[in-house]
Amino acid sequence: MRDQISRRNFIKGVIAGGAVASGTAYLFRGSGSVLGQSSPAGTGERLITLTVNGQARRVDVMRQETLAMTLRYKMGLTGTKLGCDRAECGACTVLIDDVPHYSCSVLTHTVRSRRVVTVEGLAAADGTLHPVQRAVVDEQGFQCAFCMPGFVMSAVGFFKVNPNPTREELAHGISGNLCRCQDYDKILTSLMRGSEYMRRLT
Amino acid sequence: MAVIRDVMPAFELLQPTSVDAALELLDRHGAGAWILAGGLDSFDWLKDRIKRPSAVIDLSGIAELRGIRPWQDGLEIGAMTTVTEVVRHPVVRERFALLAEAGELVASPQIRNQGTIGGNVSQDTRCWYYRAGWACYRAGGNICYADTPQALDREHAILGADRCVAVNPSDTAPALIALDASMVIRDMDGERVLPAEQYFIGPGTDITRMTALGPGELLTAIRIPATWAGARFYFEKIRDRNVWDFALVSVASAKVMNGDTIRNMRLVVNGVAARPLRLAAVEQAVAGQPANEATAAMAGSMAIEGAQPLNHNGYKVPLMRNLVKRAIRGVEEVSWTS
Amino acid sequence: MADKLVGQNYTPLDHVAKVTGRARYAEDFSADGMLFCKLLVSPMPHARVRAIDTSAALAMPGVKAILTADDLPDLNGAERALTNEPFYAGEPIAAVAAVDELTAAEAIERIEVDLEALPFVTNAIDALRPDGPSAREQGNVWGPPAPPGGGGPPQPAPVQTVRWTDEDFVAASAGGQLPTGEPVEQWAYGDVDAGFKEAALVLDETFVVPSTGHHPMETRSAMAYWRNGKLYLHASTQSVQRTVENVARWVGIEPSELVLICEYTGGGFGSRGGGAVSMAIPALLSRKANAPVMMRISREEESYIGRTRTNMTGRARMGFRKDGRITALDLYIVQDSGAYGPMGDHRSAGNAISLIYQPLAMRWRTINVLTNTPPHSQQRSPGPMQGNGLIEPVMTKAAKQLGLDQVEIRRINSPEGKALFGAPLPNGSRAHITSAFIKEALDRGRELFNWDERKARAGQRRGSKVRGVGVTVGPHGAGSIGFDGLMTIRPDGRLYVQTGVGNLGTHSMQDLARVAADILVMPWDKVDVIWGDTSKGLPYSCLSVGSQTTHAMTRANHAGATDLKRKLQEIAARDLGGSPDDYDLGNERVYRRGSSGGGLSYAQAARRAIELAGKYDGHELPADINAATKEAAAGLVGLGVMGVAKDNYPRDGTTYSFVVGFAEVEVDVETGKVTLVDYLGVGDVGTVVNPRSLLAQINGGSCLGIAHALFQKLIYDPQYGLSLGRRFHYTKPLTILDIPSRLQATALDIPDPETPVGARGVGEPPVGAGFGAVMNAIQDAVGVDVFRRAPVTSDIILMSLEHGRRMHEPLQAHL
Repeated sequence: MRDQISRRNFIKGVIAGGAVASGTAYLFRGSGSVLGQSSPAGTGERLITLTVNGQARRVDVMRQETLAMTLRYKMGLTGTKLGCDRAECGACTVLIDDVPHYSCSVLTHTVRSRRVVTVEGLAAADGTLHPVQRAVVDEQGFQCAFCMPGFVMSAVGFFKVNPNPTREELAHGISGNLCRCQDYDKILTSLMRGSEYMRRLT
Repeated sequence: MAVIRDVMPAFELLQPTSVDAALELLDRHGAGAWILAGGLDSFDWLKDRIKRPSAVIDLSGIAELRGIRPWQDGLEIGAMTTVTEVVRHPVVRERFALLAEAGELVASPQIRNQGTIGGNVSQDTRCWYYRAGWACYRAGGNICYADTPQALDREHAILGADRCVAVNPSDTAPALIALDASMVIRDMDGERVLPAEQYFIGPGTDITRMTALGPGELLTAIRIPATWAGARFYFEKIRDRNVWDFALVSVASAKVMNGDTIRNMRLVVNGVAARPLRLAAVEQAVAGQPANEATAAMAGSMAIEGAQPLNHNGYKVPLMRNLVKRAIRGVEEVSWTS
Repeated sequence: MADKLVGQNYTPLDHVAKVTGRARYAEDFSADGMLFCKLLVSPMPHARVRAIDTSAALAMPGVKAILTADDLPDLNGAERALTNEPFYAGEPIAAVAAVDELTAAEAIERIEVDLEALPFVTNAIDALRPDGPSAREQGNVWGPPAPPGGGGPPQPAPVQTVRWTDEDFVAASAGGQLPTGEPVEQWAYGDVDAGFKEAALVLDETFVVPSTGHHPMETRSAMAYWRNGKLYLHASTQSVQRTVENVARWVGIEPSELVLICEYTGGGFGSRGGGAVSMAIPALLSRKANAPVMMRISREEESYIGRTRTNMTGRARMGFRKDGRITALDLYIVQDSGAYGPMGDHRSAGNAISLIYQPLAMRWRTINVLTNTPPHSQQRSPGPMQGNGLIEPVMTKAAKQLGLDQVEIRRINSPEGKALFGAPLPNGSRAHITSAFIKEALDRGRELFNWDERKARAGQRRGSKVRGVGVTVGPHGAGSIGFDGLMTIRPDGRLYVQTGVGNLGTHSMQDLARVAADILVMPWDKVDVIWGDTSKGLPYSCLSVGSQTTHAMTRANHAGATDLKRKLQEIAARDLGGSPDDYDLGNERVYRRGSSGGGLSYAQAARRAIELAGKYDGHELPADINAATKEAAAGLVGLGVMGVAKDNYPRDGTTYSFVVGFAEVEVDVETGKVTLVDYLGVGDVGTVVNPRSLLAQINGGSCLGIAHALFQKLIYDPQYGLSLGRRFHYTKPLTILDIPSRLQATALDIPDPETPVGARGVGEPPVGAGFGAVMNAIQDAVGVDVFRRAPVTSDIILMSLEHGRRMHEPLQAHL
């Protein structure tokens, strides 16, 4: 019975947080539906392979599950935030094949063969920060930072198209992200520094 | 039954890889089917649990629906081509810049990266009563909540209302009409091609739909003829915030000039009615006239004839008039440094 | 001494965690066996629950528990997390815990609620009409607050019924003015009538300030579980230590039975100053279901339970001398307190107005109305910002009519030094502030903004564009006193600063530690800040609201660090001879003045403190510290040398901060569209502790005001009483393209004389500055009689310009 969780595992879960999310049904049941509907036949496997941050992982995904839900609650990648779940704030922005998308508004089943990168995938394996991350730290971009991962992903995606933007061009490039601290000025300063760091690397 | 939002109900997800397969699925699932393009409009309905399809047909795996290719002397744009792809396409930018200008003002970068041209023109209205799930005419009821003595209707229609006063939210739709585009529609029986102007319908035609797309039909492509390529274009969208917001009123026009005189013109306004309005009478009236203030004033007055404002949208009348004027005579670029 | 940390930029300790996604907010936690909660909310603006049938829902596989108001402790009429009498549409009635959200949502749909519809009102003024509806059966307005004193807990204000007369409404209707019927609260000072007689110009203006959602990026999601009789709550709050007592009350447990974890807060802006009442839902559901419960709050739910700004309709009759000096102000405020309250924004608005405009005589009258709209709470600059909205358009109009410069008219009315403000006190005197340097800020801004040059082109039309400039002094209370500092230097030689304030992005949580580090001459990389978990020993701290933290907690940490310094000196003197005063701190040592080297290292001193015990390592604590600090200190006993003290520093006056906003706008008169061309904020906020963060506060706060001026709002259909603003594209929070890509900000950096570090708060005052400056600039561009309400959207401007007069409904909120 899943309801009878040992205290040890439970505490471990709390400590490890998102890292054990794969063992936790979140939005959706592990199998079937509580209303007794069975999985529709002939519509493909529910256990799918997702390529996230360079790693292929098998995940059990409901048909109606969004990528943000899968990332956060099935894969434990809680750096991707849900701010509105309606494509109106950008906190959930991830790269899909290098292009910024609102992961709240993408069905996970539609990205099976594509490359997904989240904020957790930016830093090098040894912990070295991505130049954009480095710049945000150096310039103290952002305040409460709940929007930060989304902004950083938008900027990283935008720099792939425009590696040397003006401040105004960058503002347009990251305009699909909302900051309620309204730290836009410092966000722009830090992300402009990020583009400079990236150019220095290449 | 209590109401709850923000959890998508379960549905069957169907992911065809060809138009034929998609049409077959549409046919098989009938009224229970829901077409998913970019999803920005769809997910709002689904997460609100207001629309509850049994089967969602995801078009993202159909390669033939994507891409921009030459068609006669113009272009054919696959319906599943993203707005970003349209906006960045060199031929669109060079010859049909009107569409690029309109596309660049759609919502936000991420929405343009995912939203499709087919979805942008086929999206549902954003009337806040209707979108909240109220049982209005458009939702199959027998009242319009936005047209009552106390209704909040700042965003609603001033023209062409028929019971429902909702407006069309699309930015690219008026541009496509101005470019005399046509919509390629397929169903199990074959293909039909509609002028863009006729693709959009008002409540008098069918109060529950925004487009001519019937059950079992799929918009597969949009064709832009060479007719207006390289014309003098004007697009303007007035909105509150400079990101995300839908147009309060927008205008799209294409002009062919003969010196200072307008040889001919196409002129479309959106945000004022349930469908983008092509102002054919104004087009005729300005043909052969100089593109000056007098012509603009005449065109502006003509454009708003018959406008019937509601409680809070009277501003749309002068706004529409002024945007039409601008489309005729342009806007002076001003500098404050001198 | 080496360079001080205070006044320097630095990299916040938690920034790498934030930028890598490792920083965990409430919703990022999970636990095995965790259930998921969904809310059943009221579909009606006011109703009574006659019956709830949950049987079908409970029968569903996967549904574990359902919570209703009957499961909640009674809070003596105050707002509870669930209700049997919803006062607004969207108010939670029941909560379901199930194995997943899909099941919980389907269960909600199977609950049958029998609701009796009750009368409702969404527009405050409608509730005052002779036959108007009341938001509650008990009445339509909040009575005055009970007088203080008498012992015992403060009594809630009574709900009363006040109706204005037909005559009140008729008298005002001609000019679309706010009727001014019977008020509930009032005060006055000076001779108002004489002031009007003396005036060269008298203006009488009505203005509507909107309600807006706080909408922090992180909604009020929370996760709870119980272990060994204790409640563990992962939640998002602005103030960690000060949230404990509230949650305990809402849940019905003792504060000692709660462990609250909140290391990161995704913004607050006043929406969760001391937590959120909804936190009781996962807590009590978890107890009922005997499993951890996650309550994920959606953005739409946040728009109901997530708090909104208190809206006001005001009428200001103002008399001016020829030189612009205000001789008299007769102010009436109809405040909409929302479904709960009572809110006090009207009082802080009155105080702030009396302060920054220094009218020679003033009368303040108000009525505090209940409506069936989502609950309000203090929103960043609660009161003063609305006050700016009510008065600034009048100031601009007066300057125009008197032919005065907009900066000058504000300068001549600005307070200086220990200026008086507010209502007369019982002894006839009036309160005063600690300091103000507004005139310096106006002068600085005038120069930096090239005010005169911009002014010269204002009002000119080029093409369809016309420009205008505006300036506003935004005030706000900026600091409280009397809290505790708690810190230790341990045998590892590091300084551990405990703090009970929240971590909502201002970085004040770390700035405070730098004050302590300066006193202890401790390098920043040897400082650890302990925060965000009430099991870790958090001292009594101010609420992280109202621009208090920097002022209040720099004082507390100054006291705590000074205590620690003294103990280091005493330990050294004890071991090495001489008197404590012979010892200085430096190079992480306490050493005898004049001698280089020698003395004790901090690590040695920490070990000695543990040996000495007593007061040195926290075994003995000062008598005057708060009980919460004593409990926190008890957990740190014997870890090293402890600094612990209450802020007993004197303060003469009430602390206020000021930001002066300068704005230039361009208005397209053919569309009504407003573009903010440039903006400058100048802070009179005391000593600058963290320059980069401070300027970001000025910019961010200004942006909130700018959004209020341009388009942010809420929408409630008056006929049905329901919210139509369920999405951001309807309610319009500011985007990055709505402001220039560069904002300017600066601060005077003049220390406040009444606090040891010299720092005052900064978070709130820029809001009113941005709000007023942009509205004034619009007036400057298109005329002083174009609008009478905010937000000043393009439709309002275009319609007024088109018709040559104001065209909008003056007395309706929430359009």
